[in-house]
Amino acid sequence: MRRAPVVIGATVVGLIGVLTFHTKSAPITLGSLSGASATQGSTTTTTTGPSAGDNSSGASSPPKSGSSTGTSTAPSTNTASSPSTTRSATGAAVDYHYGILSVSVTASGKRITKVGIGTLNDGGNFRSQSIDQQSIPILEQQAVQAQSANIQGVSGASYTSAGFEQSLQSALGKLGL
Amino acid sequence: MTSPSLATSRNGEGRHILHCLEQVMGTVVTIDIYSEDGEASDQIYLQVARAREILQRADAVFSTWKANSPMSRLRRGEITSEQSPPEVTEVLAECAKARQISRGWFDPWAMPGGVDPTGYVKGWAAQRALAALAATEISGAIVNAAGDIASFGAMEHSQAFRIGIVDPFSPSRLACVVELTGAIATSGTSERGSHLIDPYSCRPTARVASASVSGPDLGLADALATAVAVAGETGLRLVEALDDYEALIIGFDGTIRWTEHFPLVSP
Repeated sequence: MRRAPVVIGATVVGLIGVLTFHTKSAPITLGSLSGASATQGSTTTTTTGPSAGDNSSGASSPPKSGSSTGTSTAPSTNTASSPSTTRSATGAAVDYHYGILSVSVTASGKRITKVGIGTLNDGGNFRSQSIDQQSIPILEQQAVQAQSANIQGVSGASYTSAGFEQSLQSALGKLGL
Repeated sequence: MTSPSLATSRNGEGRHILHCLEQVMGTVVTIDIYSEDGEASDQIYLQVARAREILQRADAVFSTWKANSPMSRLRRGEITSEQSPPEVTEVLAECAKARQISRGWFDPWAMPGGVDPTGYVKGWAAQRALAALAATEISGAIVNAAGDIASFGAMEHSQAFRIGIVDPFSPSRLACVVELTGAIATSGTSERGSHLIDPYSCRPTARVASASVSGPDLGLADALATAVAVAGETGLRLVEALDDYEALIIGFDGTIRWTEHFPLVSP
């Protein structure tokens, strides 16, 4: 257990290295939202998800993702203030069994320019990192792996993508996308 | 895109000479290479680049999330399998085999929305990527597609790879550890319960919390893990009767059961 935070920290640093190395980022295709939604009905609180997007988007529809089931409250909504069309929003915080994460989305007009982790709280270490979706399964794996010396991999469940997509949908809802 | 995204030399157990991450198929696939002699050669770097290409190609062809992938177009009836890339025919043939071997408990044709080989493709792609890693100085390699793992060889001094199986009730812990020869895949409700469809009832079903299947090929192991997660005890007996494949299930009551030769290290 003691090793976990250190390993994760190192992993995040490594991942940031990786992600900056990748020239084209754009990890999210909008099409990938479809299959998501219906996941564990277990987690309790269902707070109306995306609070009717007041800020940012100005016009257009606030189509809220109907599916924000297991989410708990929608906290921050930071708007990238002035310059015409660039806006960003942070989605609902989702309990994904390893911790709580929320997804941030930046859009220019109707185009998503950046998707990342807005907040990630995995047991005391509250972080806000510009890491993106796909680093999370690795964080999970590393977290598990760190508890057992001398294993070279972990086989099994990954909770994150469902939680990620829930939060992403609510962020998109806030931006009217 | 030939440069590996991350390469680190690590000390510690075994001689781990290369660790590489590839963002693909909606997740991250890691490639780890072990060697008796110190450093990764140019040949190894080239083979890793090839492995990554194989993963990306599989994603481009088979993604059901990408509206214009050949698989998506096939599902919509816009093209026939003859008009699809050759891998599609190959994978569908393998899926038909897996359906037969699993006595119908794995059935991509019973999925809502049309044929969906996703439950086979991730393992198949990782297994193909592994096959690209053939440099003679490699003593062992692991391709880990978000928990579905293909491997060959071992670490330094022939020490076998050890893989933890996640505890489905406490996913930050391990339920047990296996000594890996070949591949292992795990499926379960914890992962994506709503996606496990019972081909017989066409309803979301899982009879165990977690099912792991080990064996020589990750594509089939992946398909069988899905089948056993849905079929439960019946699935365990089914795998018991197969040569080369072994299974372990974790029931909703926490009971762990496994086939006779499942490579368990610690329960």
